[in-house]
Amino acid sequence: MATRTVPPQEAPAPGIETPTERPKPRLWAWRLAGYVLFIGAWVLLATYAFEVYILPSPTRVLAEMREILGKGDFWENFLATLQHLFIGFTIAYVVGTAIGIAMGRSSYWDGFFHDYVMLALTTPGLVFALICVMIFGLSTWAPIVAIVLTTFPHVTVNVVEGVRSIPRDLLDMASAYGVDRRTQLRHVILPAIAPFLFTAVRYGFAIAWKITALTELFGGSEGVGIQIRVKFELFNMAGVLAWAFFLVAFALIMERVVLQRLERRFFRWRPKAFA
Amino acid sequence: MTTVELTRPAERSRFARIGRVLLTPRAARITAPLLFLLVWQLVAPLIPSRILPMPSEVAEAMWEQLRDGTMVDAFSISILRLAAGFAIALVVGSVIGLAMGLSSRVEAFFHDFVIVGLTFPYLIWGLLVAMWFGFEGNGPLIVVVIAGLPYVILNMSEGVRDVSKDLRDMATSYEVPNGRVLQHLILPSLSPFFFASLRYGLANGWKGLVLAEVFAATSGAGYVINEMQEYGFFAGVIGFALWFALFSILVERLIFGRLSRRVFRWRSTTASAEKVRRVEPFEAMVD
Repeated sequence: MATRTVPPQEAPAPGIETPTERPKPRLWAWRLAGYVLFIGAWVLLATYAFEVYILPSPTRVLAEMREILGKGDFWENFLATLQHLFIGFTIAYVVGTAIGIAMGRSSYWDGFFHDYVMLALTTPGLVFALICVMIFGLSTWAPIVAIVLTTFPHVTVNVVEGVRSIPRDLLDMASAYGVDRRTQLRHVILPAIAPFLFTAVRYGFAIAWKITALTELFGGSEGVGIQIRVKFELFNMAGVLAWAFFLVAFALIMERVVLQRLERRFFRWRPKAFA
Repeated sequence: MTTVELTRPAERSRFARIGRVLLTPRAARITAPLLFLLVWQLVAPLIPSRILPMPSEVAEAMWEQLRDGTMVDAFSISILRLAAGFAIALVVGSVIGLAMGLSSRVEAFFHDFVIVGLTFPYLIWGLLVAMWFGFEGNGPLIVVVIAGLPYVILNMSEGVRDVSKDLRDMATSYEVPNGRVLQHLILPSLSPFFFASLRYGLANGWKGLVLAEVFAATSGAGYVINEMQEYGFFAGVIGFALWFALFSILVERLIFGRLSRRVFRWRSTTASAEKVRRVEPFEAMVD
């Protein structure tokens, strides 16, 4: 944290704005202006400049979304993708956490896994998707293994940091006073690493949902990825965008509403400065 | 009897020493890939219909790719696209990012669309540019720009906000000329953020690029590996994946390792690490 020492607050002279109490409502106008400009440009370009198969207008994409929702195969495909995502992410989280704890506690395992984690972090998802499709073919294992391979390093990196942030002196004091292991775990270790475990969920999830669709596209039997591929091959731009928006909307809701709210609830007891 | 007594401890200590060397983190870094090779060698024949090629076949394919120039051609085309696209992203992103850091209005204007840019899958961008520009156009290059932009923007705006206000105020009251403020205050405190935008922007630009090359190009690393997969040349796919891995290691070790040491040589190491970690783009996405 950059140390910005704030001088003791004097009462601001009337009429002079301090930067902290800048009026918020006016920013809303600017935010709205952003939306108007971007979406307006999209509408104008779609109506006057380009054909539908190059740039469909937002209303067309919405109509396509409604049509997809109306058909029976929407839930089938979406649930298939969710299933891949859920299984893959759970495995990745368990594996990533285990490796992270090992790496955080021992310099041997740190050396052992360091290059694997670095490679899995930097190699494009495409490479993992192609290899998994090659080995597992059309079975559901292809997306699941691809999720595990791309997601576990993001979990590991966060868990390692959490393990290293466990306060040593508190542990030392606990063992000096003869606190038993279980109490230590419950009151020292878990509270220290819990925020990192949470961040690991969010980082991991952000990667996992993208790789799910990607792998399905290259070789699945059902799922959102397959539907995107079908629309692409039919040159149906509105369809591609419609499925993409479903996916992005799902991810944003998970991230912004579910995970963030859970985290806030979970860490309510913390003083603000540590949050 | 006495000889046995004499040699035994010596032998034991030699074994112990080998054991101790094998248990060092440095040795672990060598053990890890060797163990991987061993497991691969043992598992590959067990998988039905020889889907997983043996290490030796993959090595042969890699040698072939190196000899006939496939690898060098594919990677050099991709690297050129990456460089050109990221240069554009850097210029445009710096302008928007600096403006966002300086004015909360500009920030409100762009913020949500930067987040959308960060979230939208590269897969979809790849498909879109394929439809827009076909196979011969500059689609992949544009995906690099789109993929790199949000990281540059977020880090630069964060960097501007991080410039110490006290120091800036002091510079103003002592009437330090603008050029010197820029050189001694703004640029040094921006540099870790610039570095982070380089690192994350390039890494993500690369990921977006190879994906776009599958759909919107007839050359480049992404195109080549997808072709091999479609022709069912499995040893070739794994071999090419290993070239990808070697490329990552090379960039990570040679360029970023060296660069970060150069950029931060004036700082104490912990400070720089902490700063760059703090602006990790996903954290920016999350708040």
